[in-house]
Amino acid sequence: MDEKREQLDWVAAAEVEGEKPPEVPPHGPVVWARENLFSSVGSGILTVAGLIVALGFFKGMLGYIFGADRKWDAVATNLRLYFTQAYPEDQYVRVWVAVGVAMALAGLSAAIWRANGRITGYKLGGGSFGLAGGLLTLLLLSPFSWRARLIYLLVALVFIGIGQYLRSVRPKLEVPALGVIVGTLAVLVGSLWVVPYGKHTFVDGQVQPPRPGTVAMTTKLPWTVMLLVMIVAYFVGKAVRDKVSPGLAKGLLSAGWMLLLPIDYFVILRDPALDYGQVFRVDVPIFLAFAVAGSAILWWLSSPHRGEIGRVVAGAMVIGAGVFWLAAAFGLSVRQIVRIDLVMLAVVALAAPTFAGEKAIRRKFIIGWVVILALVNYLAMMVNTPSTVDVPGSFPLGGFSLTLLVASATLMMSFPIGLILALGRTSKMPIFRLLSTTYIEVIRGVPLITILIFFKIILNLFLPDGMVLGNEMAAILGYSLFSAAYLAENVRGGLQSIRKGQYEAAAALGMSTPQTTSFIVLPQALRAVVPPLVSGVIATFKETSLLFIIGLFDFLRIGYVVVGGQTAFVGSQRENLLFVAFIYWIITFSISRSSVQLEKKLGLGER
Amino acid sequence: MTGLESRADMIVCQGVKKWFGDFQALRGIDMTVEEREVVVVLGPSGSGKSTLIRCINRLEVHQEGRIFVDGIELTNDLRNIEKIRSEVGMVFQQFNLFPHLTIMDNITLAPIWVRKKPRAEAEALAMELLERVGIPEQVDKYPGQLSGGQQQRVAIARALAMEPRVMLFDEPTSALDPEMIKEVLDVMKELARTGMTMIVVTHEMGFAREVADRIIFMESGEIVEEGTPEHFFTNPTEDRTKLFLSQIL
Repeated sequence: MDEKREQLDWVAAAEVEGEKPPEVPPHGPVVWARENLFSSVGSGILTVAGLIVALGFFKGMLGYIFGADRKWDAVATNLRLYFTQAYPEDQYVRVWVAVGVAMALAGLSAAIWRANGRITGYKLGGGSFGLAGGLLTLLLLSPFSWRARLIYLLVALVFIGIGQYLRSVRPKLEVPALGVIVGTLAVLVGSLWVVPYGKHTFVDGQVQPPRPGTVAMTTKLPWTVMLLVMIVAYFVGKAVRDKVSPGLAKGLLSAGWMLLLPIDYFVILRDPALDYGQVFRVDVPIFLAFAVAGSAILWWLSSPHRGEIGRVVAGAMVIGAGVFWLAAAFGLSVRQIVRIDLVMLAVVALAAPTFAGEKAIRRKFIIGWVVILALVNYLAMMVNTPSTVDVPGSFPLGGFSLTLLVASATLMMSFPIGLILALGRTSKMPIFRLLSTTYIEVIRGVPLITILIFFKIILNLFLPDGMVLGNEMAAILGYSLFSAAYLAENVRGGLQSIRKGQYEAAAALGMSTPQTTSFIVLPQALRAVVPPLVSGVIATFKETSLLFIIGLFDFLRIGYVVVGGQTAFVGSQRENLLFVAFIYWIITFSISRSSVQLEKKLGLGER
Repeated sequence: MTGLESRADMIVCQGVKKWFGDFQALRGIDMTVEEREVVVVLGPSGSGKSTLIRCINRLEVHQEGRIFVDGIELTNDLRNIEKIRSEVGMVFQQFNLFPHLTIMDNITLAPIWVRKKPRAEAEALAMELLERVGIPEQVDKYPGQLSGGQQQRVAIARALAMEPRVMLFDEPTSALDPEMIKEVLDVMKELARTGMTMIVVTHEMGFAREVADRIIFMESGEIVEEGTPEHFFTNPTEDRTKLFLSQIL
């Protein structure tokens, strides 16, 4: 759409009515095949050879997957184990609440960011043809019964009909992309209620023989609710989006996405047993004290008239917080959270003179401080409260949810660390440059698996008395420090791509180095490195499978060891591995697809 | 025009010397620019014109001599530098707009964060300046969507938004297609009429003749000759000036 608008602008600027481009007659499939597949004898031979190889490959593959002696029951019966391992059944609603929060955020985001992409009838028809082609390939190459083939054929014919109708009758039809996505999801969820996928259950740890019929109520009901939550959230977002300021709404939602992981894990899934006496006697007063005193100090510091004295005071606060931290390490008895809050306040205070401004900016600054303080204190309180979820081992989750958790926590932690390292390595201050360079080069020189094992074995020796980190937490920490080094190098590439003129223009306007970095350099640098950053995200996600080696119950271990080791499913390892690989592929493929969208969107302002 | 009234010295350079490695770019520049004066710096490429004005807002650091801007000496003190930079606007040959920000954000960024202006006030000023440079309708576009001449006019508006006391122009029309040069020069002429103190490095002789109060001719890092446009174009004294003029006119 934007391209079109730009073209129009350009034509308007030229103020000339040019000739129309010559009409190109639509290409039939025969013409297309001649031009693309059989343009010469050589290419014809290659096409035929390629087709034979592809047919052979798919026939073998599909023959294997749908062969009579494959034990897919192992996967179908163990789906819960695959996704959440041993999360207790009577608490399972927590898992759905955690998923539901994400669904609600997704629905709200689609409304607030006005996802208004449209798909033409022509494209939709192409998709329909594609589906039909896939089904035809399936029914031709797979060892299905004739009855199944007939059903597949009928469905494929329906899709061909739809595709033909859309392409020839309604090619200009425009459907909202969101509708297509939700419609597809609705069909999938609806099929759970109608299509006899079969019922696979455990009763008291015993595998039940699969029964015909639709899937169990514990699967189809929650998924239906999830879809409804997303749709309702979308309409709620649509209703309120014109009544609130878009900046505020987007800010809140972004914060929601950032908090999704800690809230889901620490608050919903871990179900901490809060001691309310302690909360009101200690935690709330500490928070209030820092909120009030901190706001007052920050209000004073962020005044545009404060000048040099502000920087001196902020510097003194940083030193004070550091001394206090050290004193606590040497035996001064003080609650951990007081130390953390003090350091946070000092860091924010240091930023205050740089980002000082008129009242509205100062007010936002204060609100930001109170919100961050509240979140950190709340999460710290939750982390320090014992969990009531009764699971074997130290960690309530396993399988896919552990993989997802480790991957997302690693990404969230390594991003800020990587940014700081990249800035440090390109900074003019020798000490920061030396530290960052050393860190990056050392970490990049060590294999990830070494770091993971090291953190598993060593980390707890370095922690203060009484503090124990589970293996999962140790893995997240080690993995974050590892990916941060790689991320830093990617970001550094972006930093180096910023032309000198940008720095000079910012300097000529009197902007300070932190201002130039945050408003001019980083936004452009990050945009420039979206493709390598996305590769990094995909790699991080996939390499969580190394957790398998340090003995954690990640997705791969559940499939290969746990499910494969069940007496009822002896010899099902190949099926399990195929399933695990398939899920990994779905996730990484969707990440790479959405990054294409992101690149298109970000490219908009550049040109 | 000089001498009719007493005006404050805006920029004073005393014996400014600058080296790039072993190469001496400035060989002792003495120059004074008064308030509301328009000075055009001419000279062949490599003569040190750009280096001179880049020293004035400390994009380059001079190694010897002293530079005063509005009475404040340029030293290594960061506070001085930032203060002087916010008083001295600069327009670059390559525009150097921020490509990821809209025209409005390009103009208001520094007033909001450096001058600490309320956003509404900064935006009102930005609109006023865009009217003045003749492209108010482009306010929501990105720099990449504008022509070179429009981008340079935005760059002028961006510098003016800081309400500077001096404007430095570093070959502002050299990267432009010929048909766009005039629109930029017109904006600069209008600016000169409003009494802005300006130092302009350019190759536009027409502009120099019409607008300049004084012309400085530089070669090999030295000021060879200076005087009114009339003196400079009709009756230059130095041979090197005559040679330069004969080559370009």
